[in-house]
Amino acid sequence: MSLYRRHNHAIPALNTASLPDLIFTILFFFMLVTHMRKASIKVKYQVPVGTELTNLTKKSTVSYIYIGKPLGETGQVVSSETKIQLNDKLVSLNDIKQSLVRERNSMSPEERKAMLVSIRADQNTNMGLIIDLKQILREANVLNVNYAAVTKPKR
Amino acid sequence: MLFRKHNRKTVPGLNTSSTADISFMLLILFLVTTSMDVDKGLSHQLPPIDKTKKEQQMVDSRHIMIFRITENNKFVLDEKPIPLSQIKPRVKEFVQRNEKKHIIQLEANRKSAYNSYFQLQNEIISAYNILRNQRAARTFGKTYELCSPEQQAQINNEIPIRISEVYEPSTNETSKGGNPKQ
Repeated sequence: MSLYRRHNHAIPALNTASLPDLIFTILFFFMLVTHMRKASIKVKYQVPVGTELTNLTKKSTVSYIYIGKPLGETGQVVSSETKIQLNDKLVSLNDIKQSLVRERNSMSPEERKAMLVSIRADQNTNMGLIIDLKQILREANVLNVNYAAVTKPKR
Repeated sequence: MLFRKHNRKTVPGLNTSSTADISFMLLILFLVTTSMDVDKGLSHQLPPIDKTKKEQQMVDSRHIMIFRITENNKFVLDEKPIPLSQIKPRVKEFVQRNEKKHIIQLEANRKSAYNSYFQLQNEIISAYNILRNQRAARTFGKTYELCSPEQQAQINNEIPIRISEVYEPSTNETSKGGNPKQ
């Protein structure tokens, strides 16, 4: 060993061997917490807060009704008129009944009994619209209704 | 140079430097195609439309509680204004007093906000749930959620949720009497 060793003073680079593990952790989190969106949401809504909530079971027979102000392409609120969206398209009150009846007929009898409609309406919607919507649901014989909400801690 | 080590026998390991890229792609895929939707809500059964008979039984005023939501999102019970926090104890005491012969009637003004209707339903259902939990603890020794479906059905029979909603469409007034059973 000669006394004149070459001293290599380069700082060692970051060890990124564990980076994939971190990314997999985040990926698993997202896989467990989210679910595939069936349709893009065209209205802006914020559901009310409640305490007595039940979980939605049987996702296959659930139809979604979104009520809120419509969004334009960039995600901004286009007009101040409240619109209704059934599953993936904006409908007016008269069309809802036909679309619901059509969907009902495409299901088997067991599914028809378990058919559920999840109403995700904005907090400030006028009750008049909700009342008309419920009347139409009754006429279409869709009686299982679930008002979507987020939980708030029980006082 | 005579005693050179032969390194030909060791197989090189797998190059894993691209696993990070693969996982990034999967992560971006999931971020873009999924959403953290709300999955919970207040369950409700709408009564079917019965065009033949209208349920206009005259009920004794002691057995009926009439709630109204005014245009300014204030709650009115039996013609007297009432704050939201007092609704739960009143409903609880009312249902306990008349075991099965009670009716709660809701009427919401068309211009009131959906949120106030939801809060009202929330308080009423919460009062029912408290009563059902108490009854379940007394009869079966466990809370309502832990009971089997037959036990739950039995408690549902003893404490039925009888909410009737009255509303006015644009032209005339009709009432939908309903016994939503949960």
